[in-house]
Formats: sequence, structure tokens, C-alpha cells
Amino acid sequence: MKTFLKILLVLLLAAAAEAKEIKLLNVSYDPTRELYQEYNAAFAKYWKAKTGDDVVIAQSHGGSGKQALSVLNGLDADVVTLALAYDIDVLAWQGKLLPADWQKRLPDNSTPYTSTIVFLVRKGNPKHIRDWDDVVRPGVIVVTPNPKTSGGARWAYLAAYAYALDHYGHDDAEARGFVKRLYKNVPVLDSGARGSTTTFVERGIGDVLLAWENEAHLAIKEFGADKFEIVTPSESILAEPPVAVVDKVANRHGTTKVAKAYLEYLYSDEGQEIAAKNFYRPRNQAIAAKYAANFSPLKLVTLEQEFGSWAQAQKTHFADGGVFDRIYQPE
Amino acid sequence: MKLNYLVFGSFAGWLCVFPAFAAGDAATNSPGYTQATPAGSAERAEIEALKKQVQELERKISALEQQRTREQTAAANTNQEQIQALDQQVRILERQRELDQENAANAAKTQPRLTVGASGVTFNSADTNFVIGLHGILQVDSRTFPADGGIKGNDGFILRRARPILSGTVFRDFDFMFVPDFGGSVVQIQDAYVNYRYRPELQLQAGKFKSPVGLENLQSDPVTSFNERSLVTDLVPNRDVGAMLHGDLFSGAVSYAAGIFNGSPDYNGTTTNADYDDNKAFAGRVFFQPWKSSDTAALRGLGFGLGGSYEVDRAATNTATGLTPGYTTDGQQKFFSYSSGVFANGTHWRLSPQAYYYYGPFGLLGEYAISDQQVTRQAVGAPPVASADLQNIAWEISGGWVLTGENAAYNGVTPNHPFDPGNGQWGAWQIVARYAELDVDKDAFPTFASYTSSASSAKAWAVGLNWYLNRNLRVNTSFSRTIFSGYTGAKPAVPAQPENAVFTRLQLAF
Repeated sequence: MKTFLKILLVLLLAAAAEAKEIKLLNVSYDPTRELYQEYNAAFAKYWKAKTGDDVVIAQSHGGSGKQALSVLNGLDADVVTLALAYDIDVLAWQGKLLPADWQKRLPDNSTPYTSTIVFLVRKGNPKHIRDWDDVVRPGVIVVTPNPKTSGGARWAYLAAYAYALDHYGHDDAEARGFVKRLYKNVPVLDSGARGSTTTFVERGIGDVLLAWENEAHLAIKEFGADKFEIVTPSESILAEPPVAVVDKVANRHGTTKVAKAYLEYLYSDEGQEIAAKNFYRPRNQAIAAKYAANFSPLKLVTLEQEFGSWAQAQKTHFADGGVFDRIYQPE
Repeated sequence: MKLNYLVFGSFAGWLCVFPAFAAGDAATNSPGYTQATPAGSAERAEIEALKKQVQELERKISALEQQRTREQTAAANTNQEQIQALDQQVRILERQRELDQENAANAAKTQPRLTVGASGVTFNSADTNFVIGLHGILQVDSRTFPADGGIKGNDGFILRRARPILSGTVFRDFDFMFVPDFGGSVVQIQDAYVNYRYRPELQLQAGKFKSPVGLENLQSDPVTSFNERSLVTDLVPNRDVGAMLHGDLFSGAVSYAAGIFNGSPDYNGTTTNADYDDNKAFAGRVFFQPWKSSDTAALRGLGFGLGGSYEVDRAATNTATGLTPGYTTDGQQKFFSYSSGVFANGTHWRLSPQAYYYYGPFGLLGEYAISDQQVTRQAVGAPPVASADLQNIAWEISGGWVLTGENAAYNGVTPNHPFDPGNGQWGAWQIVARYAELDVDKDAFPTFASYTSSASSAKAWAVGLNWYLNRNLRVNTSFSRTIFSGYTGAKPAVPAQPENAVFTRLQLAF
């Protein structure tokens, strides 16, 4: 009997020591598919070497706002990597899925990389689009997603608004008129950035796409520099897409440790290189300098400078009845 | 048009001028021409002037041609721009339609769905994790007993079953069922249980439901071949309250069920929801369909198995004997019951080997049942008179043929062409036949049962015709004849003569 128990104990220990397969779900915003495809493979390799465990990361992509709503409604995300902090704040405030001070848990306000909004135009720039003033000209067809669902669209809207404030005497009425003219030129509102890229690039609609910087570069890489070109406006907004562990889900799954490591690795040299190679502006200055040729210089304003906070911006511009609802009249 | 006039005017000018030139040339070229005189100078001047006019006209023509070219090019460019603008509008409309369709498809994924159809009413969440279904069974029968020896009050119409069925699923893995029955003479709860589907191979069910023993008894009420089940079902437990592990193994080739229950006497039409003693019954069944997924069609419909139960019955009070209230015929008339003062006192086990075979329109079902029960006879307050171990046996074989060619199945017949006489569709028709016997242990008589009130055996045969109008409506008619042995009592009485029973049924099930 004793021998039997000893054998049983050894078998149990061996089973416990055997490599585990850990599954994570990363709910992300729309244009990060290529980034996380490459990053996930790198992290899995790193984690295997470090712990011996296999980690399999599933991805979900969509408009940032829509994705946040999905997680709030029960999508079991171990981590979220969304377009803007407000969308993760909602998970903390309404869903109590993570603490309200989640942004302090990782460096740089939990944003391992940044981005901005640029213009993607047809090759030759036939409509001569150079800056935001050209985007609001009558007759120019603009493609941008719906700010109600897309994080990138909210950044684009705020970039245009910030430009108008800077160039028209910081007059809110003028700025509202400016964005109203912009959205008058928008015939189709996709729910996310990738949808807008499809509209512009594959469906051939529009003269200019207000794109995430990485999305613009990817479009040229995939479809050819002979078809499109990037125009960098004189001024845009510093977009800071944050990342966070969804504590309630990760605790339930028992994946908190690996989820935390997954996000921390974004700040590693390898993580930052992958971000830069995928046309996200890395936080690591040395790696940013290495990939400087990928990123055109421009004046970047921050959300805090022009709009105070995401809560204020959301309430003023994007909530029901906000500025966007008042200025956008679909035809 | 302007250019044409100009050309014509120029040509006309040439016509006027040319003779003058010709005359001039003729004059200068004619023999005897001498150096210009003042009159010739005037002509040359005129010619020069006309030349200049012509050059001017040529210049204007050229300018007009260039202007026309520019205008044509501009018009072409305008057309091209208009075409491009129209092209963009078409693309925009197409993309808007595409997005609307995507949004509609996404919205549909989150919308709950209400389905109303032959399977009843079902309301389920978009992810189908939550389902509520409303179904029902309504059976209106008629029973007629010709030549019944003068028994009164047994012919008539009966609301055999009137069951609203509430079923559903919560949180994807938990199913429930609640079935009250308002038919017959007693309102009762037939089924009330929850089933947890951990995996298809391992499920846990708890509540009140059919005990997993008899093959014919486990067949769903709306799909049995005849109005009433055979004599075999008299010996198996009906519904009971308890908990059961069950599942399907090897893609359904093996089904098993094993449960613990309050304990149920031999088929009790009216079931209770509480136990009368502290002992529990164990019931289980294993059923094999080894060729269920075979390529050989003739083997797919073969199934066989074994059901059984075991309990120790100690009837605690005089009001609960722990015994069957009586064995009944196809006509639901009692032909056997234990005598007063007899109660279950000891082990009660059952065994039921069973099988079926279905192939195309042909169906065959057979079952054998043994019910072995220890009983005691004792009057209230008196010492026991006697005890015995009685073994009652029954068996049956039934078959059917779907005349219209549909497949016969344990789960019933579904017509290929629902009743629609306007289009020449008449539903499905099936003929059925059955033979069954039940033998009561001879040792039951006379101590525990009386020949003057009970028969010791019954043999029954039946034939019938079933008409399936559609998935929901069915009409049956059948005739059965049961012959009894052993009865020596007075008439009129059920076992005093053969029972002839004519049944009809109108059934609605959804």
C-alpha cells in the first residue's frame, strides 16, 4: 500500500511539473492585427524559454468602443489593448473588471507605444491635400470611421478639432464649424479603422483616408507605393493606445501572472522593436531613433493639452447628444 | 458653324479674287507684257491686300480650330470628372449597403430569436445559452368495450393527456423540464427536473422523471404505436423522484443511465412526489446501438440493452403498501391486484432485457420484464400471516409498417407529405400489431391475491392503424383483445371474459 501511495505521489508531482498550456484572450482595437500576430509569436517563444509553459494567445479585433462594450457584456478578455484610455476606464467604472487606477500599473500611463493620425491619399495626390484645411474643402471625399465605435476615429476627430483650435483663434464655434465641414465630406462611416482602410483602399472610395499612422504604412506596404502615398499634416494628435490586464477575468482563469508578463514584454527591447517595425512609435528612445525613418516629424498635441481628459472629451464630443451627434448629419 | 461660314466666305473671296489674279498673271505672262504701269501697281497692291486678308483668315481659322479642340478637350475632361464622380457615388452606395448588411448581421447575432413551428414555441438568446420552449400534448381518446359482460361506465371519451410542457436551458449547460398533466381524473406533475450537461458522455439529472428501466415505457408518449403501452409496462417503474447519471458514449453507440430514486411500485399511473419509506431504489439501464453510424443501412436501426432496478421495500404505513395498485389491460382496466393487508416487505428487483429494430418503413420492438418482490401479508395489529418472494413476468413483441414508405423509428414517424388534400398529399399511414403476455407468480394465490378478484395471467394481441397527418397531428384507431386465466370470481368483472377494446385517438403534439 505504501509503495502504491509513493508511486501515486510521484505520478501526481510529475503531472503537476509537466508543461502547461495557458490560453489568453487579447481583445484589441482594429488595426493591430499584424502587430500582435508578430508580437504573440515572440512572447510565446520568450515565455516558453523562461517557464517551459506554452502560451496560446487568441486575438479579437474591432472598433475600440465596440470591443470595450463586448468585454463589458461578457467577452472573457484576459487583457485589453485598446485605442484609448477611456474605453478601458469604462471597464473599470461600469464593469468593475479592473481597478480604477489601472493606468498607473505600467510605465508611460500603460501605453507601450504611441501613434498619430496621418492622411493616406491616392498616388500623385490629385486633390492636392496637404493639411487639414484641404480635407475640409468642398468636393474632397474623406474616409474615416465612426467616432462612436472607433478609437482611431475619435483620435482623428480630436486631431482635426485641435488643429482648428490652434489655427482659428481657439474658438470652439470655429472648431465645430471646421469639423462639421470635415464630416460633411464623409459619405461612409465604418465601425473601425480596418473597415475604413477597406473602404478607401479596396473599394476605391474617397480622396483621403484619415488613418492611423501604422495603418497608412501597412496599406502602402500591402497595396503598393505606386497606388498610395502618405501625407503628414503639419499638426496631429499624439494617440496613446493603452494596455491593461482585465483582473476579474484573469483571476478567474488563473492567468494573471502570464497576462501581466504579456503586457510587460511590450516594453522590452524585442517588444519595442516589433512595435516600431509595425509602424507604432516606440517609447524606447534608442529604438525610436533606430526606426526614425519610418516616422515623419510633425507637431503632436496631446489630449490633455487641448481637451483636458478623455472623460471630458468623451462627454463633450462623443456621448449621445454631444458635438459629433449635432454636427454629423448622414445624407 | 462659325468656322464653316468663314471657310465659305474665304472660298467665295477666292472665287472673286482668283480671276483678278489669273488676269494679272495672264497679263504678266502674256507675250508682249512690258514693265508695270501705274495701273499694274494698283493691282499688285490690291493683290497684296487680298493676300493679307487671306492670311488673316487662315490665322483666324487656325485659332478657331484650336479653340474647338480646347473646348472638346474641356468637355471630355468634364465628362470624365462627371463619370468619376458618378463612379464614386456608386461605390459609396455599394459600400453603405455592405456596411448596412454587416451591421444587420451583427445585430442579428445579438438579438434573441423567437421560433414558432411544428416543434412548438421556442425563445432563445442570440448565443443560445438561454432557451425557453413551450410545447404540449393533447390526446382525446375514445374507448369502447364490446361484449364486455355488462361492465358499466367503461365506454366513453377520455381526455387522456393534456400536458403543457415548459422546457429550456439556462447558462448553456443546464436544461430543465416541467410537465403538469391535466388529463385523466387527477391533476399531477409528470416531470419536473433539471439536467446538467457536463459533456454528452456525462450528465446529471435530478427531479422527477421516468425511471430508466423499461424500453416501451421510456418511449415518448406521443409516438407509441398504440394508444396504451403493453402488459410489459405493468411491471416496470414509471416516473420516480431521484437523481441519475447518464450519457451517450462512442457517438451514441452506447447509452447508459444509473440513478437513485425514492422507489416506485410496478407501473403506477398516478405517481407520487414523496417517499413512503427511508429506503432508496437503484435503477439503471445500458443500451447498445453498435451500428448506429454504420454504412450498412440495414444494421443502423438495431438496438438492444438491459434495464433493471433494485430496492428494499419496507412499507411503513397501512396507507402505503409499496405494491402496484394493480396490473391493467390495454384498455386500462384492472385485472389483477394484491389482496388487502399485503405489502412490500423486502427486496424488489426488476430486470428487463429489451431490443428494437428499425429499417425503412419496418419497425420491431421486443421486451421482457421480471419483477421479483418480497411481500408479506399482515392485518393491522396482527402478526404476519405469510411472506413470499413473488416473481411476475411479462413480455411483448410489437411491429409496424409505414404504408406510405416513411421511415419507422423509436422516436416516431414523420410524414414526408403532410396532409394537404388539395395537393394530393395524405400524410403517412402505418399499420401496427402487438402481442403481449403477463403471468403473475402462482405463489401469489391465494394468500396474497384472490382468484375471485384477480386473474393470474393475461394474453393480449392488438392491431391498429395510425394516420400521421403532419408532425403535430395524428389519428389512431386500434383493436385489442385480452384473454385472462385463473379468474373464478363473479360477473360482471374485467377478467371474467376476454376484453375487447376499440380505441381511437386524436392527438396534437408540438
